[in-house]
Amino acid sequence: MKFSRKSRDRLGLHLILGLVSLVTVAPYFWILSTSLKYRTEVFTQIPKWIPWPINIQNYLEVFQMAPFHLYLINTIIVVAGILAIQLVTITLAAYVFGRRNFWGREFFFFLFLIQMMIPIHATFLPNFLTLKRFDLLNTRIAMMLPFFASGYGTFLLRQAFRQIPRALEDAAVIDGCGGLRFLWHVLVPLAKPTLIAFSIISIVSHWNDYLWPLIVTDTPEVRTLTIGLGMFVQQESGADWTLLMAATAFVTAPMLIFFLVFQKKFVESFMLSGMKG
Amino acid sequence: MRRTDRLATYSYLFPGLFFMGIFTFIPVFMSAYLSLFKWNVNNPEPNFTWFSNYIEVFKAPLFWLVLRNNLIYAFTTIPISMSLALFLAILINQKMGSIRSFYRASLFYPTMIPMVAAAMLWVWIFNPGLGIFNYYLGFLGFPRLEWLYDMRYALIAIIIMSIWKNFGYYMLIFLAGLQGIPNHYYEAAAIEGATGWKQFRYITFPMLAPATLFVFVVAIISSFQVFDQVFVMTQGGPGDRTNVLVFYIYQHAFRFWDLGMGSTLTTLFILGLLIAIWLVFRVIGRRVYYEV
Repeated sequence: MKFSRKSRDRLGLHLILGLVSLVTVAPYFWILSTSLKYRTEVFTQIPKWIPWPINIQNYLEVFQMAPFHLYLINTIIVVAGILAIQLVTITLAAYVFGRRNFWGREFFFFLFLIQMMIPIHATFLPNFLTLKRFDLLNTRIAMMLPFFASGYGTFLLRQAFRQIPRALEDAAVIDGCGGLRFLWHVLVPLAKPTLIAFSIISIVSHWNDYLWPLIVTDTPEVRTLTIGLGMFVQQESGADWTLLMAATAFVTAPMLIFFLVFQKKFVESFMLSGMKG
Repeated sequence: MRRTDRLATYSYLFPGLFFMGIFTFIPVFMSAYLSLFKWNVNNPEPNFTWFSNYIEVFKAPLFWLVLRNNLIYAFTTIPISMSLALFLAILINQKMGSIRSFYRASLFYPTMIPMVAAAMLWVWIFNPGLGIFNYYLGFLGFPRLEWLYDMRYALIAIIIMSIWKNFGYYMLIFLAGLQGIPNHYYEAAAIEGATGWKQFRYITFPMLAPATLFVFVVAIISSFQVFDQVFVMTQGGPGDRTNVLVFYIYQHAFRFWDLGMGSTLTTLFILGLLIAIWLVFRVIGRRVYYEV
């Protein structure tokens, strides 16, 4: 049989993409598979991809061993708290950077850009000392504070605000809708796609935070999912893979389900994150 | 502008600047200041010693090993994940049906997983006896390796998992860039007889420059932030062969409680990061064509 050049190219395309997809998806499938096995089923010489008989007992056991429901609630509180304050700070700052002229604008904007380049990984030690001085260690608020301002979010939103025509603002001002009312009733609704994109990126990145919560927490009452998983691993010290993988699957599940349901929005958001840079 | 307006302007700026000041800029100066003090278990009160911490850092062979590890990590993960991302973005951007969203999701989903969870998963995959990595590499004729327990291969294992975790995000950024290239450029090129490699070289690549610059900067920052996977998978071992900068700072600050040394390393870290990014913008940034 003879293939035309075009259909041979198409075959190659799907062959490569299919193979790479298989390699990237397999690890996750392997977590799920291990988490549903009986302990003895793990020790097979040939990997068993389909767990049979299925054992959901592992998940129940994980919940008995560590308060993962508490970790989940803490994570939601921390992530939502960060996002709520971020939306306020970035909207206000993006508004003045995007729509107003004032003394020191370039300088202040430069500060916001620099903040993008200095991650928490570069400041966790002095921040720890600050929170210690104010007696805020081991609280949920401690996990949120360093992220309340976002140079990155401000930058994204400023770009969106700048694209809104000047004439619209002039008309609004004549109608008596200036300042904050213009921001709230005109700019924010028009910049909704950017706000959603930023929100999704913020939720994903803070849901996954590890270093900072690790440093400022030391009791289960305030710990988040990622820290809880880390602790669970140490407590189990790698002995029981079915339990470890059940815990891992539980920790990854909320964000992945969210992603699969809203795939289009997620993809658009992460695409937008680079385009404006 | 009226006075009240001006006041309003600065007050809108205030919340952001306030948090930024306290949690980003003051810390930068605070670590620079504290780096001049001996402040550890032997010196419970900070003791001003000029630059002695810096001398101590540069004299420690471990510091150079850590730097070397981190540079190896950066110089392998960045080019490999960027070229993989670009290649796959070009493939996914070809005409195809709804299977595109399947490919896209399968390549991008690792970004959604917490690094800690991903690290846990790969500890299991790299398990020398039961792990699937050794099993399938065996088919390709590789010997069974101890991976995370072997000084020679632990860093490679961490590099492999990090590429898996990060390339999907870079791919999406490239994909966004590709979708922004007007189709008539390619049509014009085709009429002129430019195909395949030539189209890539003279249209795709230059038009992707802003996306490439963005990915490059993000990749540099994240490759010097690497911590979570090291913390979970190896704790810097075996023999400090996977010890990287942030983990090294963490060790000094929270394991040895040497805050002066921790501050010194933090200061060097920030300086290094800013210089690296400045260089990227100086060398590459000016060659990037922006369509405004």
